Amino acid sequence: MHVIVCIKQVPDTTNVKINPETNTLMRDGVESILNPFDEYALEMGLKLKDTQGARVSVITMGPPQADVILRDAIARGADDGVLLTDRAFAGADTLATSYALSLAIRKVNEHPDLVLFGKQAIDGDTAQVGPGVSEYLGYTLLCNVKSLTVQGNHFQAESVYEEGSDIWEGEFPCVMTVLKEAPAPRFASLKGCMNARKAKTQWLAAKDTNADPERLGLKGSPTKVVKIFSPPVRDCEMKCVWKSDKAKALSSILDALKKKGALK
Amino acid sequence: MLTEKGGMQIPWVPGLMHAEGYPVGSLTKLTIYLAQLCEKEGAEIYTGFAATELVEDAQGRIIGVKTGAKGLDHKGGQKSNYLPAEEIRAKTVVLGEGAFGVLTNRLLNRKKMHGARPQSYAVGVKEIIEVSPNPDRVGEIMHTFGYPSDMKTYGGGFVYWTAPNQIMVGYVYGLDYANPSANPHKLFRKFKAHPAVQAFIRGGKAVAYGAKVIPEGGYYSVPQLYNDGVMIVGDAGGLVDSLRIKGIHIAMISGRLAGETLAECWKKNDFSKQQLGQYDVKLKADPVWQQLKRVKNVRAGFSKHMFIGVMNAGFAWATCGALPFWQVSMEEDYKGMRPLSECKPDEWDIPTSQLQPDRLTDVFMSGTKHEEDQPCHIRILDKDRCVKECLPKYGAPCLHFCPAQVYTLEEDHIQVDFSNCMHCKTCQVKDPLRNVEWNFPQGGDGPRYTRM
Repeated sequence: MHVIVCIKQVPDTTNVKINPETNTLMRDGVESILNPFDEYALEMGLKLKDTQGARVSVITMGPPQADVILRDAIARGADDGVLLTDRAFAGADTLATSYALSLAIRKVNEHPDLVLFGKQAIDGDTAQVGPGVSEYLGYTLLCNVKSLTVQGNHFQAESVYEEGSDIWEGEFPCVMTVLKEAPAPRFASLKGCMNARKAKTQWLAAKDTNADPERLGLKGSPTKVVKIFSPPVRDCEMKCVWKSDKAKALSSILDALKKKGALK
Repeated sequence: MLTEKGGMQIPWVPGLMHAEGYPVGSLTKLTIYLAQLCEKEGAEIYTGFAATELVEDAQGRIIGVKTGAKGLDHKGGQKSNYLPAEEIRAKTVVLGEGAFGVLTNRLLNRKKMHGARPQSYAVGVKEIIEVSPNPDRVGEIMHTFGYPSDMKTYGGGFVYWTAPNQIMVGYVYGLDYANPSANPHKLFRKFKAHPAVQAFIRGGKAVAYGAKVIPEGGYYSVPQLYNDGVMIVGDAGGLVDSLRIKGIHIAMISGRLAGETLAECWKKNDFSKQQLGQYDVKLKADPVWQQLKRVKNVRAGFSKHMFIGVMNAGFAWATCGALPFWQVSMEEDYKGMRPLSECKPDEWDIPTSQLQPDRLTDVFMSGTKHEEDQPCHIRILDKDRCVKECLPKYGAPCLHFCPAQVYTLEEDHIQVDFSNCMHCKTCQVKDPLRNVEWNFPQGGDGPRYTRM
């Protein structure tokens, strides 16, 4: 069994600020991290390594610095890592990214059994690249997966939606996007980190994927960013209830919510 | 020297306290840069693992460290992602844990390696403030003492204009202070409100925050810096010039000398205590050690009165440390705390603003993060003593001295919000009842300083 996990390096958005004058991200002092959702996708893959003996490969597209997230994944137990890096990929929207990733996946393995994504990346929040890749690969798509059990070529997966959840049964190959409700990601061990430091990652340029240059990067991206702005602060009523005693504070919160119709 | 409303420039400042022509910048960024240089040379750096134990052999030689387990829940049970502790063996362990290093202190206690005088600390709180860009002022710095500290407490502030739109402001407060309601964060806000500081930061906005204790006991408080299988470098060894409150240069030099010593050990294949002792010999022959010696009583002088401190510092300077020739005594910082009934609370307050955020807003800006479902790393040994002894006598100073507002008073107990913790160790230094034990949280948790 071969599982490919697609991961992304993102700015740590808990610390990101937007420059109010230029409306661009202020990158100074902002760390780059592995997209938190992708950690859960990776964990799902690594569980299959533990239980099914699956090979787990990680792929990312990004600047050369993104190599560190491949090593993070290898430290946690992934077998190999591929970095798609080339000026030609720069400025790609979700369509061009899906195209490039699907070619890279085919390059790693013409017929992988399972391709995993985090539900979405915390920088763009589009949740479109996983579904996009499934289209290009012609694979079944399951989104918002919370749990997965596998028997041979057969799987059972639980997908969670706002209204409830579905249990799906099916056969590989398949593309899945994974929720944070899935089992918690494992930590890299010190030994794992030492191994990852020495690991060889494979770097692919645009020409290695035999991609159509017209469909890559900015050129291949029909999405245009017209404007970035911080949404204005919404007017809302604020009231301090903490200073009174706890029971009173709690009941005043409940009363307020009932009044608004949020609670019955 | 600041007074409540104004201040004066000290007419004569010793040569070494000048810093004309020096570059100013972010220590975090410098550290990251240096780490990259080391990695380029082949050094391996593994972050996100806390060394929580020193491993000793039967003869008492340090032979490695143990990392803390990860993935424990709040009761100490194993979660699904549990990662057991790992042991790393080494020919020598170099402890560079920073001020009040927990492993270092355990080692010093166990092997009786403490210096002649107990280490004394100050707590420093610092913010980065963004202002409208003014390239002409980059490089301007100001160091102050006096207000808002009282005359009996060693305290002072600093302002560094580090980039066209960025100023670093900090306030350092001696932890031998007497008033249990003293609040370093509030003193920092007072400092920022002073006209001399306002001249730099008016109209600005605080964007980052940090806090840490500084070992400023100096010469007499430096412990034995090596033992069988172990060396101590930097702030962990109290290597701070207590007149200038600077230790980064000594830390770097101590690290280099420890490295050179190890290189010789490697060449001779001799890692004995005697060979490691070469580190001590080298450090004590280095000019920085002479600097430490010259100001050996400066900090202790200030523990009496600001005026005596200044006189004493002047004497020490003028006589190259010959005067005073005796070792001025100092006790452990926590012993300096007076009962609440003998002290006046500080009623000063101003509204919060972007330039004057409250403590919790500042904590948020430190980026500190801890997995919530893990054993609490700050343990109150006897919870009853907090409300029965400490509260009536001292008014629970932890509520005030913690720059991260970890401690809050609930109806009948002190609540510990450990996820606020910035690992500054003020509670370890100042708790008057010795009732708080700081342990290691899950490796990788803590403040996220990126440009401090």
